[in-house]
Amino acid sequence: MAEATAETTATSEAPAKGSGGMPQFDFAVWPGQIVWALIIFVSLYVVLSRVLLPRVRAALEARAAKISGDMDEARRLRAEAQVQADAAAKEIADARLRAQRTASEAKAKSADEAKARQATLEADLNARISDAEVKIRASRDQAMTNVRSIAADTVVAISEKLTGEAPAAAAVEQALTAVSSAN
Amino acid sequence: MAEPMKQFEVHTIVPLNVAGLDVSITNSTVWMAISATVLAGFFTLAFARPSVVPSRAQSVGELLFSLIDDLAHSIIGHESKSFMPLVFSLFGFIATMNLLGMFVVPFTPTSQLAVTATLAMLTIAIVVVVGFWKNGFGFFKLFVPSGVPIALLPLMVPIEIISFLVRPLTLALRLFGNMLGGHVVLNIFGSFVVSLGLLGLAGGVATLGFLGAGVALGSVVALLALEFIVAFLQAFVFAALTCVYLNDVVNLHSH
Repeated sequence: MAEATAETTATSEAPAKGSGGMPQFDFAVWPGQIVWALIIFVSLYVVLSRVLLPRVRAALEARAAKISGDMDEARRLRAEAQVQADAAAKEIADARLRAQRTASEAKAKSADEAKARQATLEADLNARISDAEVKIRASRDQAMTNVRSIAADTVVAISEKLTGEAPAAAAVEQALTAVSSAN
Repeated sequence: MAEPMKQFEVHTIVPLNVAGLDVSITNSTVWMAISATVLAGFFTLAFARPSVVPSRAQSVGELLFSLIDDLAHSIIGHESKSFMPLVFSLFGFIATMNLLGMFVVPFTPTSQLAVTATLAMLTIAIVVVVGFWKNGFGFFKLFVPSGVPIALLPLMVPIEIISFLVRPLTLALRLFGNMLGGHVVLNIFGSFVVSLGLLGLAGGVATLGFLGAGVALGSVVALLALEFIVAFLQAFVFAALTCVYLNDVVNLHSH
């Protein structure tokens, strides 16, 4: 509180509030306060309502407009991006389908080729196997006849060594037949 | 003991007499003018170059504006826009006077019944004018509550009239009383700090005076925080009640 001014003016106003009551009920100071309160408040109201508050409202509305504008723009961009993403997804799905078809075609083709090659190889092998079997059978028969003649020769030689005389070919042949049939 | 009422004394600074009426410029009127200037100056600076991304001052201004705008809209409804500047002016003017008054040097005009009564009478006068302007003589329906049996009307109408007439009184006294009480209590506790501290200097048992001074100091700090809230809240209450009274006459048909 401005004590200096308080002291200087207190003396001049002392009689008005000599009762020691509240200074607020010193009605001598009411008219001035009422008049000035009205003047100051009305001026403040005029300045605020005409100049300053419209500025605040304009700033708030500008922000709201900017935000909603940006939101609309963002929404539009999102929709656009969604469309593009859908198109890309569709393209990918198409490509996958195409790739699958190509792959399955290639697989089928190569399987056919392999089967054909296998068939020719098998036929070739079978032919060679049967050839070989024929040859084997022939050489076995050949060998069997050779074995018989070797056996006959052996029998003749052994009998000659033991008995000193060669047995008759017919007898050897008969004995060999008997042995081979006994086996 | 310092006089707790001394802080409310009104001193003439520039004597002025118009048509036999003493309209001197006093410390009260000076601080009213300073408060109004501070409020208008703040909004002028804060919105000198408003931007979409607000500065700190602009944020505060927008916050206060939205506070009162939302308040007016929630109470008065779609016609609130034309009354919002009035409500905001009352709120801003009272809040600035209250908050400036929290500091040591400024005088608090809202602790003067003359000032609060002027603002209250002005508010009610505006309410009455708006009431007649909007409803003509239908304004008097304000005193006839709807849905009340005819038999009760002779009782209800006088009650309604009295409650309407009491409005400016309560409006003025609530603000005045809060400011007066807060300042007196702070002054008394503050003087306790000094007198108990001086007592403590005497030594001996009187050293306990320091303890008392400490407690009083703590109370002053706590009360100061409370009074800052009260300073803001009373301005808000004044604004809210103005909205309620305006709503009564603006939306009279829906009563």
